[in-house]
Amino acid sequence: MTERGNARRPDHLSAVPDKSGPDQATDPGTLLKAVARGDETAFGRLYDLIAARVYGLIRRVLRDPAQAEEVAQEVLVEVWRTAARFDAARGSATAWIFTIAHRRAVDRVRAEQASTDRTLKVGAASIDTPYDEVADEVAGRLERQQVRRCLDGLTPLQQQAVTLAYYQGHSYREVADLLQTPLPTVKTRMRDGLIRLRDCLGVEVKA
Amino acid sequence: MTTTDIHALIGAYALDAVDDLERAAFERHLRDCSSCLTDVSELREAATRLADNTWSAPPPRMRADVMAAIGRTRQLPPADTGNLRTGREAPTVRWRARVAAYAAALVLAAGTGATVYAVQEQRVREQSITAAEARQREARTQAVLAAPDLRVHTAPMTGGGRVTVASSAAQGAAVVSVRADTVVGPDQALQLWTIRGTEKPVSAEVLAAGRQQAAYVVDGIPDHDVVAVSLEPAGGSAQPTNVLAKVVLA
Repeated sequence: MTERGNARRPDHLSAVPDKSGPDQATDPGTLLKAVARGDETAFGRLYDLIAARVYGLIRRVLRDPAQAEEVAQEVLVEVWRTAARFDAARGSATAWIFTIAHRRAVDRVRAEQASTDRTLKVGAASIDTPYDEVADEVAGRLERQQVRRCLDGLTPLQQQAVTLAYYQGHSYREVADLLQTPLPTVKTRMRDGLIRLRDCLGVEVKA
Repeated sequence: MTTTDIHALIGAYALDAVDDLERAAFERHLRDCSSCLTDVSELREAATRLADNTWSAPPPRMRADVMAAIGRTRQLPPADTGNLRTGREAPTVRWRARVAAYAAALVLAAGTGATVYAVQEQRVREQSITAAEARQREARTQAVLAAPDLRVHTAPMTGGGRVTVASSAAQGAAVVSVRADTVVGPDQALQLWTIRGTEKPVSAEVLAAGRQQAAYVVDGIPDHDVVAVSLEPAGGSAQPTNVLAKVVLA
């Protein structure tokens, strides 16, 4: 009966059979399908499931809470607007949503860099405030443990390349500069790092 | 750039670590390479799991703002398939202008009288008290979940759903999370019980009527043998009537 971070994964990737209608569903994929049909209640439930991670991710990349809020709002409205474009064959609903969120955050970082040089604030590790929904927290903790464990399984260079790009929004050229490593090496480390993460997390997309 | 060069960007692309030109080139490449599409989807999926580490509570007002905004936002029809869309061509500028107009209207409405202001003030105060309580509950939950001796037990519920008990002897408490798929009527409530040996079940918590999902910090659980969840009339019962789940903490 003991569950230590191994039994959650199937929920993450595949739609839970819809027993009680989209408004009662707790699976992002089912909710997103309802959202695509214009169901605002389903969107509200989806918001409750993902908003803290969307906001948290954007805040992690941007560092600035006010900007993070603005971008998170844009992203969530974008999820509403483009929900019909989500294609379950290409991956999970959460991956689709976080791809939008991450790209928007990165775009904002780059736009800022273009105008002024971004002031790097230190202490980024301490900014994460806990998410309010404790029910999800239990499951979330298990998932986080899994991600941490998998990150620990990368070589130091793979890990640095992946986290500098994902959490700080650096391009691979910037990462190469920061790590004083040749460009082709950085590209390879990013690819191999993600492959190792994929295998460790058991990610699978059915073609 | 040659195809080989482009393809070497697969990891950087999945991490959004490419510039706009490279991104466009890579997406062109994807259109001609269906196996690459699966590869990149999987790498993206892996990359987005890194977001599991980044939970952060958004400001409470954000929900209302977003719900109001979607009420004014027209949805796009399903895509003409073929390329990787993440919907970046959005008219967000217009949207932001509309939000600003909406905010201005709110400020005007609030300015119409002292009563409105007082009511608002009261609401703000209540919100901050709730927020403080939420934070406290939050801190307690975090402490339990961060305990090095955390043990997680789980059991399915009759009619669907799951009860998870994450307990720490060091903290002397457990986080019990309940998610029932069974419909709980407006005159019904879920109730949590702790059971020690052959003693009678002791009520630990009665959920609000109709609520199907919740999580609580329950003290003293590590000393108990079983955590049970039952379906009761709203307000709870002295003893469990319809037990839906039993989590054995052995």
